[in-house]
Amino acid sequence: MSEGLAEGVGVSRAGHFETVGQQRAAATLGIWAWLITELLLFSALFLVALITRIQHPEATVAAAKHLKFWIGAVNTVVLICSSLTMSMAIEFSRIGWQRAMVRAMLATAALGSLFLVLKGYEYYADWDEHMMPFLSNRPFALAETPPARLFVNLYYVATILHALHLFTGIALLLGMTWMAAKAGFLSRHQNWIEVYGLYWHFIDLVWILAFPILYVVNR
Amino acid sequence: MSATGSVGGTARREPHAPEATLGRKADYLHADSTLRSWFLTTDHKRIAILYLTSITGFFVIGAVAAGVVRLALIVPNGAIMTNDTYNKAFTIHGVVMVWFFLIPSIPATFGNFLIPLMIGAKDLAFPKLNLTSWYVFMAGAFFTLVSLVLGGVDTGWTFYAPLSTAFSNTWVLPALIGVTIVGFSSILTGLNFVVTIHTMRAPGMTWFKLPIFVWAHYATSLIFLLATPVITTALILLIMERGFHIGVFDPAYGGDPVLFQHLFWFYSHPAVYIMVLPGMGVISEIVPAFAQKKLFGYRFVAYASIGLASVTFFVWGHHMFVNGQSDLASLVFSALSFAVAVPSAVKVYNWTATIHKGSLRLDTPMLYAMGYIGLFVLGGLTGLYLATLAINQHIHATYFVVAHFHYIMVGGTVLAFLGGLHFWWPKFTGRMYSEPWGRVSAVLIFLGFNVTFFPQFILGYLGMPRRYATYPVEFQLLNVLSSAGATILAAGYIFPMLYLVYSLWFGRKAPANPWNAKGLEWETASPPPKHNFHSPPEVPRIPYDYPIQAQEARDQHG
Repeated sequence: MSEGLAEGVGVSRAGHFETVGQQRAAATLGIWAWLITELLLFSALFLVALITRIQHPEATVAAAKHLKFWIGAVNTVVLICSSLTMSMAIEFSRIGWQRAMVRAMLATAALGSLFLVLKGYEYYADWDEHMMPFLSNRPFALAETPPARLFVNLYYVATILHALHLFTGIALLLGMTWMAAKAGFLSRHQNWIEVYGLYWHFIDLVWILAFPILYVVNR
Repeated sequence: MSATGSVGGTARREPHAPEATLGRKADYLHADSTLRSWFLTTDHKRIAILYLTSITGFFVIGAVAAGVVRLALIVPNGAIMTNDTYNKAFTIHGVVMVWFFLIPSIPATFGNFLIPLMIGAKDLAFPKLNLTSWYVFMAGAFFTLVSLVLGGVDTGWTFYAPLSTAFSNTWVLPALIGVTIVGFSSILTGLNFVVTIHTMRAPGMTWFKLPIFVWAHYATSLIFLLATPVITTALILLIMERGFHIGVFDPAYGGDPVLFQHLFWFYSHPAVYIMVLPGMGVISEIVPAFAQKKLFGYRFVAYASIGLASVTFFVWGHHMFVNGQSDLASLVFSALSFAVAVPSAVKVYNWTATIHKGSLRLDTPMLYAMGYIGLFVLGGLTGLYLATLAINQHIHATYFVVAHFHYIMVGGTVLAFLGGLHFWWPKFTGRMYSEPWGRVSAVLIFLGFNVTFFPQFILGYLGMPRRYATYPVEFQLLNVLSSAGATILAAGYIFPMLYLVYSLWFGRKAPANPWNAKGLEWETASPPPKHNFHSPPEVPRIPYDYPIQAQEARDQHG
């Protein structure tokens, strides 16, 4: 792992590890194991959404057509761009360009926030069009087809869960950026950037799965 | 054996002296004694003790609830308590015992304490995450206790829809939130173990030198990682369904209550092996130590752990044979369920073969281990009855099922837990417990357990359904017998709590290796120093290097 790192970039060893290599390997395996659990968490949800599609094709297509395809599509692009900036941050961290890395991290957080703003606007538009069936005081636009209600509710569960991950991710990223701007960060915690980068790419990946499953199939 | 004769050596002859904290070297218990040093500790050994204390509390709550259930069933007409109270009692029993005792029991306590010692590491890979997992566990416990204090839940530990989503008028939501949160503590523990076992082994500690205890926990951790997220999703959907009526488990909106059962059992069947595999790991340590003989068929036992953890992901449908699933699906699930018997039997045969021609000592841990083997065989074989489609139709949701899984969960896991607790007690605390009291309690638990649960096989076979507060009069004799057994069992549980706590202050000081056992955890002091080993431990040439070796081990290693 440590080859390809510039001079003065690395990890300070925690006391219970024997070597830095061991510590890096543990961190990498740890984040991958965590991401596998996250993948299963979302997979179960996507599976339920797909089962609903298979059992009630007309109603779910009708509901899916009410979703804001273009906001979803733009958000997909936004997140892919944020993954690019995150990758750049990782590369900068490896070659020791601390200022560039911090800027790339801020750009990543900004793109993530843009996603949340667009998502928030989309929720507002949904609310405006009576597409929030879980609200008991607001009649649902597609009330005549009950499975549409189920599908739209699943859309909320999945996208809110994703948005929560993204929100947590932005908060962590900003906190880390604050620390990463300090002198000597890269000589002690370069590893954090690599590990965090995997989490960020994962949030991006979940959206790339969610978008076709919820918005696009049979459209 | 001469070595056996001098077990304990001088430590045995030391006068009983109530001086727990004075004059001891800085072992992990005495390195620092402030409350803060316990609640903010990142030492895996102290976190194990935190877990041990909390799950013992939950065990007591669950056991009291079980006592209430057995009390109600003494009379057939439900005169002792209302149906609602009865439903709440068995739900509390199930929720607390499954989610807050059995699942964390062995992994979070012994696993936490012993895995780093056994592989020769200073700590788990992520010590802070380890502490976090305990706080997450306690946060989940808090929500569940809130639901209990407010008035309880009556859905059973399985939270089946639509009872839990639409019909129950009890405090289902806080209980669901608590169980969801506890799942994350399992995930964090499993993640920590997987990474630790992969990356923290001492030089020379190759995979096939690992104790079976570590293999079993590796397999368990894989289940933690791969199954728990699915129950998290299922519970989130259940919470949304109950809170916002999203319709996912409601046929009126195109949802399906059976879908919940699929998601639930996709986790909860593998969860059976979360509860069973660590126990098997404990037994695989105790049996060779008390036979002073190399574990028979080491590699097969190791592979069988991974085998069980794999097959268990493909048998969840056997909980749903009478729920309208297709005949083909039932047939496949039935066949796969039979396959579970193979790795289970590998383990049982290998333990038995280890005992064969060993130099046996029937101390308390071994009594528990032998009890475990017998009861696990009964529990496992009755599982095959239940996996048989035609017989399942007859005994589905009867007391036969209740008896079956209590033979696995109590006869198996709880006995292994108690056996392991006695086996490693000297290592955990630096004190010896009272051996006579230990043996008496082990025998009491074995007898009490069988008197409690064997009648339930007969009751189930005769057709008494589970989860009802009332039953036909002709079943009363067997029910009274079962309740009487529960009182013996309770006595068997109370004794260890008393003499183990007593030993903390008044027990003989324990030597580093009171059982003449093999394994790196016995190479260090009892209790271990804060960083586990004073000098880096030397990894033995072969695992379970006991004086008596099976023929195959001699062939294999020359």
